[in-house]
Amino acid sequence: MKTSSFPLIHNRKAMVGALIVAFILAVAIAAPLLTSYDPGARVGRPHQSPSLEHWLGTTRIGQDVFARLIYGARTSLAVGFGAGLLITIVGTALGIIAGYRGGKIDEVISFFTNMVLVVPNLPLLLVLAAFIGQASPWVIALILGCTSWAWGARVTRAETLSVKQKDYVKSAEMMGEPRWRIMTFEIFPNLISIVGINFIGSVIFAIITQATLEFLGLGDPKVVSWGTMLYAAQKASALSVGAWWDILTPCFALAFLGIGLSLLNFAVDEIANPRLRTGNRLGRWSALIRSGEGRL
Amino acid sequence: MAFLLRRLCFYLAAFVAAATINFFLPRLMPGDPVQIMFSSAGAELPPESLQALKLTFGFVDGPLWQQYLTYLGSIFSGDLGRSIKYFPLPVTTVLGNALIWTVGLMGTATIVSFALGTFLGILAAWRRGSLFDVIVSVGAIFATSVPAVVTSLIVVFTFGFTLGWFPTGYSADPALDPAFTFEYLGSVLYHGILPMLTLCAVLTGGFAVTMRNNMINLLGEDYIVMARAKGLSDSRVMLWYAARNALLPTVSSLAIAIGTVLGGSLVTEVVFNYPGLGNILYQAILARDYPVIQGQLLIMTATMLIANFVVDVSYVLLDPRLKRA
Repeated sequence: MKTSSFPLIHNRKAMVGALIVAFILAVAIAAPLLTSYDPGARVGRPHQSPSLEHWLGTTRIGQDVFARLIYGARTSLAVGFGAGLLITIVGTALGIIAGYRGGKIDEVISFFTNMVLVVPNLPLLLVLAAFIGQASPWVIALILGCTSWAWGARVTRAETLSVKQKDYVKSAEMMGEPRWRIMTFEIFPNLISIVGINFIGSVIFAIITQATLEFLGLGDPKVVSWGTMLYAAQKASALSVGAWWDILTPCFALAFLGIGLSLLNFAVDEIANPRLRTGNRLGRWSALIRSGEGRL
Repeated sequence: MAFLLRRLCFYLAAFVAAATINFFLPRLMPGDPVQIMFSSAGAELPPESLQALKLTFGFVDGPLWQQYLTYLGSIFSGDLGRSIKYFPLPVTTVLGNALIWTVGLMGTATIVSFALGTFLGILAAWRRGSLFDVIVSVGAIFATSVPAVVTSLIVVFTFGFTLGWFPTGYSADPALDPAFTFEYLGSVLYHGILPMLTLCAVLTGGFAVTMRNNMINLLGEDYIVMARAKGLSDSRVMLWYAARNALLPTVSSLAIAIGTVLGGSLVTEVVFNYPGLGNILYQAILARDYPVIQGQLLIMTATMLIANFVVDVSYVLLDPRLKRA
């Protein structure tokens, strides 16, 4: 069926993905070493095109775009990973509990999961963010965590249903292990690939959604992030006045990080399930991605 | 029938849940929420809008449950209150005008990308491992991992501003009067094509991957082997035996994808300055027009639920097992 060339391609994808994410992470950490400009300060004339002095030009109010790009990476990564972690924890916990306990508990959790899935996510987030006012990145991460766990819960529940039929779970039950122990030590480790894919998918979703909310003007404009860069550039009509560097810089950064994380998703899956077929892997991965972008 | 009825009840519950969030959010604000909303929207509002705003959020005299019932009652009778920005226009009028454009854009983009994505998926699965398959799969990864806002901005920069092939705003030439003339309809098409293509670029990859994987899982089935053994032509086996059955789970993924389309169209409309719900919403957020922001959640939820129901119905028609159940 599959020739040996395919896993090779996938591994290469995984390597490229890991390199991209590591590169962005390194740049974000080393931001103060890479530029001497303050990302919030006015350091040049408005809308200067890229030059040796300002590598990626300046914004409408004369801030250095390169400095904003690398400092903004910190916010975008922190919110992405923070919210991704929260989404994964909530989704995994609810999924395992619903799948393992079954009965009434399962019915209640599944009902809420399905309900959250049919209420469109972005409009809901917009309403929440609008009432919070100018939402700081951490508030955005928190509301993402509270509203976006449903897909993970659904996938984890389905997987738990098959794992709980396995012999080792049955024998742990026979030995009288407490339920929380069975859920955390017998079931959870066997779901690690689902959890990993859910995590990276959620990180992608969180980064995209944070940028979207901020682009739509619901973020705190004083915070430096890729989303607020988009917002400020769009508000300054950067494209129609020809200041493409102002708006395309955060665009390419977001696309670059999104592609890197998606490629990394392959790596997690391959480490966890070396025998997975291409079809299945792509299928579960794409379903998660879509649920992520999902509600975008 | 019982299946559809159960789904219908579930959708009703989901809609009430969205309305409940809308009801409680202003009440969770510290202080007098109506005053806060009133002042954050700007000072130049007529005083009678304060009263209208109170009614919008169900702030009537009486206990909480009574306020809640009043609020639900007005929602279900189609009254979403009045807009602050466009006072005294009702929210339903403001959103209704925009909804036509969004549904048109969204509907076309969904149909085109579903058809195209499904077709690409069938071919990719059929030639699994070929160069074509690799291109489709990798292309789908890229398309699904780039945010809709980024795709929209890059498309509008390239084709709108740099090459100048397409207009960068409005749903039609503002100089023309809306009428059923070739000139006006042509202008609508010309203005709509770029946002529509952007949405397709965002959506096609997901459909292609879903279809490809469903197909691959089916290609090992006995009836496919049987069909080939009978000596049927490749295209007949591919389309009438494999693709037909693979389409079923794809249709259910369509229901989930509708959320993507809605969100994607919000952002795309803002970037293309297209007068749909997304743009109205963007203006409402900038003006902190809370009744409009809340109204769009209800309208979007209703749109999503109706679309889901249509998918349910088509599922029943496609899958004879559900009809008997």
